[in-house]
Amino acid sequence: MGSEMQSVRSEKAGLNFAFREKLNSVAEGFRHNYCYQCGACVADCPAGNYSEVFNPRLILLKAILGFENELISAESEIWDCTNCYTCSERCPQDVRPIDVIIALKNICVRERKAPQFVGKVYESVMASGITTKMSSLVAKRREEFGLRPVKDVPVEELKKMIGLD
Amino acid sequence: MKYTPFFGCMMTTKYPQFEAAVRKSVTKVGMELVDVEGFSCCPDPIYFHASNKMDWYTVAARNLSLAEDVGHDIITTCSGCTATLSEVNLALREDSGLKDEVNKNLKKIGREFKGSINVRHAVTVLRDDFGLDKITETVIRPRGGLKVAVHYGCHLLKPSRVMRVDDPDRPTILENLLKAIGAEPIHHEKTLLCCGRACTTDSIPDQMVMDILENIQAHDADCMGLICPTCFDEFDVGQILLGRKYQKKFEIPIVYYFQLLAIAQGCDTGEVGLHLHKVSLDKLMEKVAA
Ligand code: SF4
Ligand code: SF4
Repeated sequence: MGSEMQSVRSEKAGLNFAFREKLNSVAEGFRHNYCYQCGACVADCPAGNYSEVFNPRLILLKAILGFENELISAESEIWDCTNCYTCSERCPQDVRPIDVIIALKNICVRERKAPQFVGKVYESVMASGITTKMSSLVAKRREEFGLRPVKDVPVEELKKMIGLD
Repeated sequence: MKYTPFFGCMMTTKYPQFEAAVRKSVTKVGMELVDVEGFSCCPDPIYFHASNKMDWYTVAARNLSLAEDVGHDIITTCSGCTATLSEVNLALREDSGLKDEVNKNLKKIGREFKGSINVRHAVTVLRDDFGLDKITETVIRPRGGLKVAVHYGCHLLKPSRVMRVDDPDRPTILENLLKAIGAEPIHHEKTLLCCGRACTTDSIPDQMVMDILENIQAHDADCMGLICPTCFDEFDVGQILLGRKYQKKFEIPIVYYFQLLAIAQGCDTGEVGLHLHKVSLDKLMEKVAA
């Protein structure tokens, strides 16, 4: 009944509440509901200051209006966020805009609409436990610096926890 | 006092000279490092985090639980590891529902996250558990007159709700740590700007990094000092790549704070790998080794 009412209202207002519900279901995604569009997150956003299009307030507005196609895409501006957390410092509503952006990215990945390299980092951690690769040159250097050799990560543990085993 | 170091992927597999510098320098100040086996990537606070937040919590919680077994606080030496491990540690402590959910995953490998230890960047531990005077006591070759342009990077300070290290808009921690070894910190207009590593449109990080480098040049600093291997990557090799791409000339040596600390304590520049940096440190070495 509640959700029926909501969908009637959302149709009238032209809002896409289905998308907002999807966002609510992802970790930290519900925070987008707190945004009252004050713009406090904008002025010190480095991605915003160095790009024509990036604006955390507008990303939040698109989330509120449910502009799913613009946000959930490999071409979306969300991929230009620097992850600096300045917006979280500024927001008076505890939206933590960066955390909403991460939630949007999580949806992109789940729906296979993220840039390719994003998945590669995840796959690398699941395959070897690390994001980088150990070279014989660095192994030798470690020895020269008197450092212990780097041991393999027990990746089967990671896979088991995540349910990839 | 005992601590478990978490060096992370970048430092262990790409910049072992930084790990060497940390080990040599912090032990002189009085930290005893207790290594723990089996850590994975923290995991990465940008793309792994962007892939799946629940998996991010889970993999980080496994790392935290390994350290909890030994019982000492974690010291991190990379801003990325600091971001992930501090945030996950706090999120799971604050939200028992989330903790239970993550612990269901950990239980499959016989582990549990308890929330019994803290995670702090090594510079924070130096300041808070030992103090600036204690650092100065270990210095035998003060870096008098060495002008170091400070680069904070994002995750020592932000989110401040999680990090609780300093005022994120007017921090002093790195300046004070530099003064403690006799160097002169240079705070320039872009000291707090991030390196832009996470952006997908190249022009954004390119402009950010060049802006930072140009500000440092304008202040006539001897080098840039930072505390994160990922920022280092962006400014050391990054500086050369940008110079080529935009036909600019940059020659700013980039140094990791613990290298400077170790040298001030008497280490050779070679022992902390200054010769391995892409931007030549020859001129700087003359100055610091004097
Ligand atoms: S974290 Fe926030 S302030 Fe930083 S680039 Fe992203 S949106 Fe902008
Ligand atoms: S500061 Fe917070 S409430 Fe204001 S526009 Fe940004 S996200 Fe919305």
